[in-house]
Amino acid sequence: MNNDLNPALFYFLAAVMLLSALAIVYCRNLVYSALFMVVCFLSIAGLYAMISADFLAAVQIMVYAGTIVILIVLCIMITRRTTMERTNMPEKKYILRASVLAGLLFFLLAYIFVNSEVLPTTNNIIALSGDTVSGLADLLLGHYMLAFEIAAVLLLAAMIGAVVLAKGADEK
Amino acid sequence: MNLYVIYPEITVLVLALALIIIDLLLPSEETRRPLGYITILVLSILAISLFWQYHLTISAYFYQGLFYYDNYAIFFKQLFLLAVILTVLFSLQYIDTMKYSSEFYSMILFALTGMMILASANDFLTFFIGLELMTISFYALSGFGLTNKKSSEAAIKYLIIGSLSTAVTLYGISLIYGTAHSFDFAVVCKNPEFFSALGIAGMMMITAGIFFKMSIIPFHMWAPDTYEGAPVPVTGLLAMGSKAAAIAVFMRILFEAFFPAADYFMPVLAVFSAICMIGGNIAAMKQKNIKRMLAYSSIAQAGYMMVGICAASPQGLKGVLFYAFLYVLANTGAFAVVTVVALEKKGTDYEQFTALSQSAPVLAMVMSVSLLSMAGIPPTAGFAGKLYLFMAVVEHGYLWLAFVGFIMSMLSVYYYLKVVRVMYTGKSDGSTITISGAVRAAVLISMTATVVFGVWPQYLSMLTDFAAITFLR
Amino acid sequence: MHTGLLASLAAFITGLIESLLGHGFAAQLIMVLLEIIAIFAVISLAVIIQVYMERRICGFIQDRLGPNRVGPFGLLQTVADMIKLMSKEDIVPEKANRLLWGMTPMLLFIPAALVYAVFPFDEGAIFADIGIGVFFVMAIMSQGVLMFLIGGYASEDKYSFMGAMRAVAQMLSSEIPIAFSILAVVMVTGSLRMSDIVSAQTNVWFVCVQPLAFIIFIIAMLMETNRTPFDLVEGEAEIIAGPFTEYSGMRWALFFLAEYANLLAAAILTVTLFLGGWQGPFLPGIIWFIIKVLIVIFIFMWIRWTFPRTRIDQMMALSWKVLLPLALFNIMATGIGIYIYKWIY
Repeated sequence: MNNDLNPALFYFLAAVMLLSALAIVYCRNLVYSALFMVVCFLSIAGLYAMISADFLAAVQIMVYAGTIVILIVLCIMITRRTTMERTNMPEKKYILRASVLAGLLFFLLAYIFVNSEVLPTTNNIIALSGDTVSGLADLLLGHYMLAFEIAAVLLLAAMIGAVVLAKGADEK
Repeated sequence: MNLYVIYPEITVLVLALALIIIDLLLPSEETRRPLGYITILVLSILAISLFWQYHLTISAYFYQGLFYYDNYAIFFKQLFLLAVILTVLFSLQYIDTMKYSSEFYSMILFALTGMMILASANDFLTFFIGLELMTISFYALSGFGLTNKKSSEAAIKYLIIGSLSTAVTLYGISLIYGTAHSFDFAVVCKNPEFFSALGIAGMMMITAGIFFKMSIIPFHMWAPDTYEGAPVPVTGLLAMGSKAAAIAVFMRILFEAFFPAADYFMPVLAVFSAICMIGGNIAAMKQKNIKRMLAYSSIAQAGYMMVGICAASPQGLKGVLFYAFLYVLANTGAFAVVTVVALEKKGTDYEQFTALSQSAPVLAMVMSVSLLSMAGIPPTAGFAGKLYLFMAVVEHGYLWLAFVGFIMSMLSVYYYLKVVRVMYTGKSDGSTITISGAVRAAVLISMTATVVFGVWPQYLSMLTDFAAITFLR
Repeated sequence: MHTGLLASLAAFITGLIESLLGHGFAAQLIMVLLEIIAIFAVISLAVIIQVYMERRICGFIQDRLGPNRVGPFGLLQTVADMIKLMSKEDIVPEKANRLLWGMTPMLLFIPAALVYAVFPFDEGAIFADIGIGVFFVMAIMSQGVLMFLIGGYASEDKYSFMGAMRAVAQMLSSEIPIAFSILAVVMVTGSLRMSDIVSAQTNVWFVCVQPLAFIIFIIAMLMETNRTPFDLVEGEAEIIAGPFTEYSGMRWALFFLAEYANLLAAAILTVTLFLGGWQGPFLPGIIWFIIKVLIVIFIFMWIRWTFPRTRIDQMMALSWKVLLPLALFNIMATGIGIYIYKWIY
């Protein structure tokens, strides 16, 4: 990609990401919130693509943005009244405490990030050139094989739990 | 690759899958009790076989420094196995009344796998996946009381707050990876970059995430509601297994990955430990429900175990291991009684325990011994455990912490004895509770062990010494 | 290096523009734009052809004539229909969520068009030969269902909404068999790159190596593209036109366009993954490609007009209880097969 374009694209994507993240919180209609979440995730995928993590970008689109569909269905099924307006109202009681805490955390982390050195990237296991998929596969099926296998067990456990809870008490 | 190292996990996993398949083959009207017996049998054999795995030589890894199979891990694996065996034993009847009982057994086994992985995890990736395996199984298990609204509430609360803590942990891990360029505990601690502001932020987040699982006080919001709503065996396992697993992995992370920073951690941990002991014990006094009371008491117990971590010495570690072990025993007794009462009287408030000594004298006795052990009254094992913990921490210079712990133990006697008083006074409604052989076996094992390890702590203490000393060289 | 017809054409045009402008970068930029326009042209042209094909084939199978009045053999019938649709009144439901409702038909077209970026039309004729080709296609395709849901929700109409819910259920359950059947192909190839998958089929097409995956893929693709026997999202007797109930005129035409773009994409994907892509003897690659795609589209239409519809529960049962286990079995068998193959050689 053209190097002059990179910072501009980064700031654009970052701005979209932040604004849509704010919109997720402040939209009063849950469906709008969920849709802004799609925008947010897509811009994150764009950021991944910018740093040549193309596989990660596609995963971000497929897994995260793709799941929003289910999220919206659940939102509507659980909270639906005559309209979806006013389904995502702010909790006024905790707003002060929450904003103070969030602000504190933000400034703390911002301080840390601004003051820490630029991270060196020499030690990366996956070389940035070329095929990210095979590099990732080598790591996951080689060095981290056990964690990968446990993840399979994790998915199975989650699936069994979900099926039991979804079937509920009525059916057999 | 050293497949031998993961044979306990493989056994448990194969058992879990076999149970699901057997469930499909059994006719649906058949009782699922045999599945419980199979579980107990296989897990017992596995737990006993692990005794031969303790070793004096250098410990084995699964693969290039991942998944450490040392004495410490073996000890905790045995601990989790014991907790699950006893839980299944006392709740056979309770699980029979559930609708998806075989799935319940296999979910418990999945959670057990997660805990066992946590005990051995030696890199952040395995740690995270193991933690998730355990936690997600528990999310589902908390909701297994399908007809009970409180159970659903428990599951949802645990899920939402647990997911938050997971996110925090994950963020922390990413920061650590960003500074140290590795997931491996042994590599992380050697990287000089790691001890920077970013690395410290990462450490804090990981610690906070584990504190959620341990239900240390500022992160305990989920515990009382989840403990109250979840099915009783699940509550028992949450209090024993989940907490012990979190402590096991926390100690490993603290003393391996964060080793350069461990000294700076101690004052912070001491403060959290004190808050836990004070807050947990005081909140427990006001409770009307035994399960809630036990939830707050478990928060306090986590505080006691943190005292041992603060000592940062083999003695302190040994105290933690010892205490975790007898905490499992005491909890088994208490939760076995609560399970029976919940099943017979349809509730776990103080009223349901009125005059339990007349309807079921054995249960009342076991409950009393278990609660006394939690309070740390001399003839029981709880006393020995607290003694080890406080002695170790005094040696390390935290006199005030030992003092706080001592005072709070005294205060805790009040609410533990309140249960005893309720059980031994009041008028019986004339009903007698029949206890099945399995429950009787579970409670007698737990009570005998509690008393035996209280009078002769040296046998258990040898084992814990062995595990602790090889861990902290 | 031997290049296909399309690639030589592209190289020729690039050279022409470069000699005119005298600047390499600008020529490439213009080329990229031209390629994008070409893809859109292909989609639009293909839709017109497909609609005509569909009607004629339907007529043939049902033993009637089909459109034959406008233009020679009725070829201009689709054009006439398009003019009709464009000149229709734009009816907006009173209660609908105007913004979302209006956006949906246009947004629906984005994922449908985006997948064409990684399709190899001929040797060297691929817009972006990225390393994650097939995975990219799956990721983008899974976004289409969101638009159906939004359209159904924004119409504020119970039939639309029920249709949208059905679309979600149907597409989610079809995506998993698709992904797993593609995975078997990827296992054999050892790469996600589209051009690698095509060149791996020089000697033998994957339909012979992976017959089970091929059948699963075709069935699941019928579900994904909402075609009979799985056209459950629409149903005049139950939920009217599903998510499109409230759309008319040009907006409806956009849904229609996206549907046929998806059908073409499904056909191209089938050809690329299982039928050797653009490869074939004697004729240039692009010709082979077009022939194969047309045959696959014909098979899709043949299925549509000969099979009765299923019910939604039958379709879900088929997807989760038959296709998914079969696909998983196929992955295992493929893994064992590859292992044995490597062991022999």
